[in-house]
Amino acid sequence: MEDSKKPSSLQVELPESEVTHFKLPVDSEHKATEFRLLSFAAPHMRAFHLSWFSFFCCFVSTFAAPPLLPVIRDSLGLTTTDIGNAGIASVSGVVFARLAMGTACDLVGPRLASASLILLTTPAVYFTAIINSASSYLLVRFFTGFSIATFVSCQFWMSSMFSPPKVGVANGLAGGWGNLGGGATQLIMPLVYDLIRDTGTASFTAWRVAFFIPGVMQTLSAIAVLASGQDMPDGNYRNLEKAGNKPKDSFHKVFYHGVSNYRGWILALTYGYCFGVELTVDNIIAEYFYDRFGVNLQIAGIIAASFGLANIVSRPGGGWLSDRMSERFGMRGRLWSLWVVQSFGGFLCIMLGRMDTLSASIVVMVLFSFFVQAACGLTFGVVPFVSRRSLGLISGMTGGGGSLGAVITQLIFFRGSKYSKETGITLMGIMILCCTLPIMLIYFPQWGGMFCGPKPNATEEVYYSAEWNEKEKEKGYHSASLKFADNSVGERGEKGGSSPTIPVDVPTQA
Amino acid sequence: MRAYGADLLTYDEHVIACFLVLGAGEDKITVSWGLNRSLPAGADEAYKEVEVRLCYAPASQADRGWRKTDDDLSKDKTCQFGVAVRPYTTTNSTSFEYELSRELPTATYFIRAYVLDFDGKVVAYGQTTDDRKAADLFEVVEISGRSLSLDIAAGCFSTFSVLLLLLFFVADRRKKAKE
Repeated sequence: MEDSKKPSSLQVELPESEVTHFKLPVDSEHKATEFRLLSFAAPHMRAFHLSWFSFFCCFVSTFAAPPLLPVIRDSLGLTTTDIGNAGIASVSGVVFARLAMGTACDLVGPRLASASLILLTTPAVYFTAIINSASSYLLVRFFTGFSIATFVSCQFWMSSMFSPPKVGVANGLAGGWGNLGGGATQLIMPLVYDLIRDTGTASFTAWRVAFFIPGVMQTLSAIAVLASGQDMPDGNYRNLEKAGNKPKDSFHKVFYHGVSNYRGWILALTYGYCFGVELTVDNIIAEYFYDRFGVNLQIAGIIAASFGLANIVSRPGGGWLSDRMSERFGMRGRLWSLWVVQSFGGFLCIMLGRMDTLSASIVVMVLFSFFVQAACGLTFGVVPFVSRRSLGLISGMTGGGGSLGAVITQLIFFRGSKYSKETGITLMGIMILCCTLPIMLIYFPQWGGMFCGPKPNATEEVYYSAEWNEKEKEKGYHSASLKFADNSVGERGEKGGSSPTIPVDVPTQA
Repeated sequence: MRAYGADLLTYDEHVIACFLVLGAGEDKITVSWGLNRSLPAGADEAYKEVEVRLCYAPASQADRGWRKTDDDLSKDKTCQFGVAVRPYTTTNSTSFEYELSRELPTATYFIRAYVLDFDGKVVAYGQTTDDRKAADLFEVVEISGRSLSLDIAAGCFSTFSVLLLLLFFVADRRKKAKE
């Protein structure tokens, strides 16, 4: 009995006093192997709900201005160029913030990283209420936009809490319900604005007061994350590091292994053309319907909202599809489904720009939203497998790439009066098709790629252990990677896979 | 004389003259209009109503697609604010004192009067500026919508959020020191 308690390089044993029983079945890393949507059980499901809701609030804030632009543009005397520049600014700061966030998660944990970011960006939301020029409008949108770097901590947190068979659906739901904020805000803001105006307030004051709603939502969600969240199934980073259960990793090593992995770069590019496109559309769509089809502010908001609201099911649907494809075809299934879905989204985008009637536009837009958002979910079905040591950085690179795609797209097609909005949308669709092709280049030796099968003797262990050098392996630092390698054998699909992950700790009924 | 068709702005000889006096008070203007006396008698038989509107000058339309001028009146967005609608009378000149709406944005404007016939179609018009919309324009400065209470509220909420974070870090450090 004494021997089994001695820590070996393959297992990190928790001291007796810290062994906990989880309400969900877990694997050897104590990640949940089941996903129960309606449960708030700590730590797994609670992390899920805290994660998606705080991310949702950040999205609400970042895209709170676009649905009110018909009022704000007159209140501040904005030109089309000013509006375009601010739209670009709103998604550009976050490119670097997402990279930084990835590393921050690797080093201090998702709970601290996300709560800090959220609380530090709320002042930008509150200050939106008191701006009075095009340049101050640009600045507040720029700084508010940083908050959607919480996407990275959200995905990181889910990848830390849920086992590979469920990581796609967990990431998809958390990401999707968070992105939902971009749609919900198009409904919430015009509604809040209307309610305030009904009290007799002038329209140029009403829009300002409306911004306190997203601000307060953001503040409250950060408080909830700090108060009741937990970094990993076994505790918070600080406690785990103290007990010696989680070695403190070095920034340089994490950085190196992240940026030297070419798959991270490819996913960063392709994510720019599903998620980046989604952000772009969030910025332009309400004004597009208002100006092109002459609908009023509320109707434009409702139509715009339906684009973002599809996220309730579309992005999680993408995650779910990724997991289903993986069951039968392994990683190759994940890659194929990602390419097919995203390319079809590009085709629908081309069509959207060419629709001349309101009803046709709405129909195509809704279909387009489903495919482009599902592609986001499918992308994050692949991301958790690219690296284990630098998971945060890879998530950050992909997320940053997403925002960069939004910057580039808005710069080329939606700034100033060079292209009409409808032409811009069609050209954006063509760009989606082109930038999705690189998925064909992704290859995992142990699982294969879109067109090539796996190498005969490649294993998951070799792939993930390669991120650690001999000295680190001797000290057992790579134990988490080995566990992950073991748990990800399912990515070989039906033919190559061994039995599915067996839960280690099954809860007994009270 | 240029006619563009039923729905389009018809420039024809039946132009009515339109005058504008900026009121002594900050937010009132007096608009007056009447038939151009140089026109032949009977020219105004079809005129029923005069609709006076406040319109954006080109300087305020630049790079702002939502204020664009379009020859098709149903798509035209130049004149977004109504001033008055009055039945057409043959008196020399009709006046109206307009109190500027509190919701007008800062911009350069002119006034235009559309004349409608019994079917509601625009058959003539007049404006306070010239054909190039360059002369006799006036500016309106908007009511800002900012206020001291908003400024204070924004400051307080922001400070609270940042303080919260600092408090958390301090509490965390204390816990660390205790352990």
